[in-house]
Amino acid sequence: MNLSTRRNFLRQLGLSAAALPFLPALPSLAQGNGAAKMQRIIFLFTPNGTIPPEFWPDQTGPDFQLKRILAPLESFKSRMITLKGVHNKIRGDGDGHMRGISCLLTADELLPGNIQGGSDKPAGWARNISIDQEIKNFLQARPETATRFGSLELGVAVPNRADPWTRESYAGPNQPLAPLSDPYAAFDKFYGQSKDRENLGSVLDEVRDDLKKISSNIDPEERELLDKHATFVREMEQDLQSANTQNLMFPPPALEQGVALDNDGIPKISTMQADLLVNAFANGMARVATLQYTNSVGQARMRWLNIHEDHHGLSHEPDSNADAQEKLIKINIWLAEQLAYLAKKLDSIPEPGGQGSMLDNTTIVWTNELGKGNSHSLDNIPFVLVGGGLGFKTGQAMDFGNVTHNRLWVSLAHAFGHFIPSFGHKDFGQGGPLMLS
Amino acid sequence: MNFPPKNPAGLWRIREVLRISIFLGLTGCLLAQDVPAPLSGEAIYSKHCASCHGKNGEGVKDEVDEPLQGERSLVSLAKYIDKRMPEDEPEILNAEESQRVAEYIMGAFYSPEARAKNSAPPKMAVARLTNRQYRESIADLLGSFGKTTVPGEGKGLKAQYFQSDGMNKKARKALDREDTRLEFDFAEGPPAEGISPEQFSIAWDGSLIAPASGWYEFRLSTPNGARVYVNGERQEGDGNFRDDSGAKRQTALIDSWVSSGPEMRVETARIFLLGGRSYPFRLDYFKFKEARGSVKLEWKQPRADWTVLSTPYLSPAEAAYVTIADKAFPPDDASEGYERGTEVSKAWHEAVTSSAVEISNGVVARLRRLSGAKDEDADRLPKLKDFCASFAERAFRRPLTDELRQMYVEKAFAEGVSPDQAVKRSVILVLTSPRFLYPELGKEKDEFTVASRLALGLWDSLPDKALVDAAKAGQLRTPEQVKAQAQRMAADPRTRAKTNEFFQRWLKLDAESDLLQKDAEDYPGFDAALVADLRRSLELFVEQVVWSEKSDYRELLEADYLLCNERIAKFYGLPVPEGGGFQAVKCDPAQRSGVVTHPYLLARLAHHDTTSPIHRGVFLTRNVLGGLLKPPPEAIAFEDHKFDPKMTMREKIAEMTRNANCMTCHETINPLGFSLENFDAVGRFRTMEKDRPIDPVVDYISQDGEQLKLHGPRELAEHAVASEAARRGFIRQLFQYELKQNPPAYGLDTLVKLDATFNASGENIRQLLIEMNSLAASHGVKNPDQASR
Repeated sequence: MNLSTRRNFLRQLGLSAAALPFLPALPSLAQGNGAAKMQRIIFLFTPNGTIPPEFWPDQTGPDFQLKRILAPLESFKSRMITLKGVHNKIRGDGDGHMRGISCLLTADELLPGNIQGGSDKPAGWARNISIDQEIKNFLQARPETATRFGSLELGVAVPNRADPWTRESYAGPNQPLAPLSDPYAAFDKFYGQSKDRENLGSVLDEVRDDLKKISSNIDPEERELLDKHATFVREMEQDLQSANTQNLMFPPPALEQGVALDNDGIPKISTMQADLLVNAFANGMARVATLQYTNSVGQARMRWLNIHEDHHGLSHEPDSNADAQEKLIKINIWLAEQLAYLAKKLDSIPEPGGQGSMLDNTTIVWTNELGKGNSHSLDNIPFVLVGGGLGFKTGQAMDFGNVTHNRLWVSLAHAFGHFIPSFGHKDFGQGGPLMLS
Repeated sequence: MNFPPKNPAGLWRIREVLRISIFLGLTGCLLAQDVPAPLSGEAIYSKHCASCHGKNGEGVKDEVDEPLQGERSLVSLAKYIDKRMPEDEPEILNAEESQRVAEYIMGAFYSPEARAKNSAPPKMAVARLTNRQYRESIADLLGSFGKTTVPGEGKGLKAQYFQSDGMNKKARKALDREDTRLEFDFAEGPPAEGISPEQFSIAWDGSLIAPASGWYEFRLSTPNGARVYVNGERQEGDGNFRDDSGAKRQTALIDSWVSSGPEMRVETARIFLLGGRSYPFRLDYFKFKEARGSVKLEWKQPRADWTVLSTPYLSPAEAAYVTIADKAFPPDDASEGYERGTEVSKAWHEAVTSSAVEISNGVVARLRRLSGAKDEDADRLPKLKDFCASFAERAFRRPLTDELRQMYVEKAFAEGVSPDQAVKRSVILVLTSPRFLYPELGKEKDEFTVASRLALGLWDSLPDKALVDAAKAGQLRTPEQVKAQAQRMAADPRTRAKTNEFFQRWLKLDAESDLLQKDAEDYPGFDAALVADLRRSLELFVEQVVWSEKSDYRELLEADYLLCNERIAKFYGLPVPEGGGFQAVKCDPAQRSGVVTHPYLLARLAHHDTTSPIHRGVFLTRNVLGGLLKPPPEAIAFEDHKFDPKMTMREKIAEMTRNANCMTCHETINPLGFSLENFDAVGRFRTMEKDRPIDPVVDYISQDGEQLKLHGPRELAEHAVASEAARRGFIRQLFQYELKQNPPAYGLDTLVKLDATFNASGENIRQLLIEMNSLAASHGVKNPDQASR
């Protein structure tokens, strides 16, 4: 909703624009206006590649078996697609990890820069907008699909530093977007105003009481000013009360308090961010999101899986190191469980004002910076789509042999009705969208 | 005293009456001998004055609206009447009659004594915190829960230079030093010996000193990597300099760590800062394999132009984080020439409320630091409650009664809400409470009132610990105790910051003015850089005079030197001072005299292509000579092209304002402006205007009623120094700015008393600050020693 529509809307509710800062996030007016089919997309990022033999189904087509890593998605098997043979072919400056994350959603080379990786030439930011932002801009430009935020950039344990290893989403060339990794800050961003409103309601009451008390012992001139003050307090209370009649479609999620935002907090943070994301979608705040687990070269130590080495360190171990392989499989299973949790959450909520569940109208795209950790290969990125709404033929394992991931992003754009001829690097834009339907 | 212009109908009426009386007077003369007994002062008043001033000097609507009251001495009043009253026909009263009527007016209603006799004394205006008071109070309230720092010496930043090694930016320290200016061009070379030019990093650390309150813009230019931190709280891991470290927690104001090829990147950001305080500051920089290395950080102070950030605004000293309330507030009422909190509005209440919410969020985010209560503490809850109670007590400027503790603290915690939410509620409640927002609330005036007034008067803020302790210990009872506190507080940087803001206002440095943009063809070289230097010259001059040992008001007006740097000296044809920076350069005393002839003001009070005697005259009347002027009845723009180009400016202005309606005020304004005609529109001394010689000699009737002949600026300044009305006018302006009240609210003789001590102190401005604040602080507070026994 743009500002002037919002103002008009408030006026109809009898609210002054002055009450704006304290009003809750009003659900999008477009929500439930039925005409356009609901479509949402979530890009889920995990680092350090996968263990291919335990990831890729042996079969292609509708009859396929999920291997260990994808086993947590068993209940969504008919609503998912695995996409083998899709390569990130972007080269140029920067090491494989930088390109792995910063060229993933942007599908173009990095700008030359000063950030030196473990190999290759130093590089800077991505030179292209990322596909999530491309789709977001398309949706925001149309009143019927525009939402309060357009897109949400959320993270789980993303380090507090801005460089090509920590950013996947770009508003444009050279314009990285920072994911929000603090669930409490995310809560404030989505619902802070309504929480403030709640606090204010009780506070204003107290202020009025005290004003009365003070007024009994002051000069008439003072009383005149305080009476005015009391009027403003009363007016604000009234504004808040009328605002209270506009409730969120779904109440804010109840977050566990006091979760430490560090390595060991990751499992809880992961759940909280998924809950926040789904709730924000349900309340019509956005239709596009990225959810980024750590960063490229992610170094989480998954002690809750009894794995004490860091993820990236393990990923460098050769295939012959069976212990490391087993740990990496466990790590990737855990990550698949996070995806499954998100999918279940979406599936548990009937589509507001629509058909089926939210998952039927939301596609989760599981991405990775690498295909395989110890070779730093950007081929066969372990892409998985879960959910519906984009008109793809789900319930199959696909193998494209050797295509660029630029084309996958074109497919997604087209599914949203955004018919761009190509996306990203000019050499890899040929061939149009991948056939997914 | 104010003599507002008449409406034309009123004028006509007066003229008729006067014509008749003149006629009668002449007849009387012809008839000679039989002279009636001289009229009494009262009779003269009712005959010649009451029609405009009212029977008892109360004023008459549409004639003289304002009551006939003032601070003039009898001599001055009598002279004034003789020269100027009745308006349009002052000849009607001779000196002796004027003396008589002055005596009558004086005793009947004019003097402070007479007014005290006649009516209830004026009271202090009820007021909320002004916006400045609010912001300063918030900063000190939150600041009181941690380490506090005072601005360090502005001599530069600590700089550490490192050899880098790939991702490790701090592989080896190569150099420690202090840098004074954040502009470095290393080109293709190293920043120092012993470092390879290919990869190195530098960390500049210390504090930033903000001279004034307002929005500051920062502009970072580098083709390499850099981050700017301003007013951030130092966090664990901030010193970590590896590229891939996730340890950093502090958020950068500008993060330009990642480069984009060889091109120069320019990034800007803005932040609100309070003047007179220092802020944690850090600039991290590195170069990695790019062809060239350079970094520049510029800033734009409020109302100033972009300059490279440098001394004296950078200090190696540490500074504590400052909580800044940067919400936009509606401007305070300034209709009487100073900001005061006498009005409340819906917009103000909303700003206060949303600011309270914002600050409460900051409190919760920093709760561990502020309260000292750790998450794992068993007694966290009681600790948080105590924190909230201290917060309320400091905000309310007095001990918290049990009842108030219940209301502002316990109740917020009592409802099963989480401790963080309870703190948040309590903080919002305190910050929206009238007890915080209206500092003088309630009839009871005690030592805490004294403490509160001293802190507001000298700092615009809350009492500090020493002041609160003194109040609690009963040590703010005697005038000596109060003065001793004021003396202590006057040495605090906050006093300096507040006083500097007064002078900014007094000298019109507080707002941008397009009048400072001069015609480039007529005044080549008078550019933005020179204007910025002139501002700085005037600011520095005032600061040096006011904060010197003597703090002599007379020096402000009479100094025969100008603070010049090279650019100013060259432009004004003065010797370029040695040693760089701003230095005092002696001028011809006949040409330059203190602020009266400072080129910043002369240019600020001139049009873009000509002088403006009216601007200059109004400024001198109001700000320097203690006069009051009402706004003109109709605004007439000066349009140069409408005059014969052969006329001098003096002739043009005289022509433009010759109407009697204008002359009631311009009689005062014009001569003052004309006396500065030796200075052109950019403040350069001149003797000719085109091909006509300039005549700066003027006849001027002073506020004290004296008929003066002034020969140029030096005599004008000497008159200002000698004039009682001018001095009292200065005291009044300072008083109003400091206390946000009119002096008579503290006793009708307030100005007279302050003037006497000011005189006795050698016109010491800082002493005056202490005197006026001490006087105001104790006003109406019963001495408890007498009250209770």
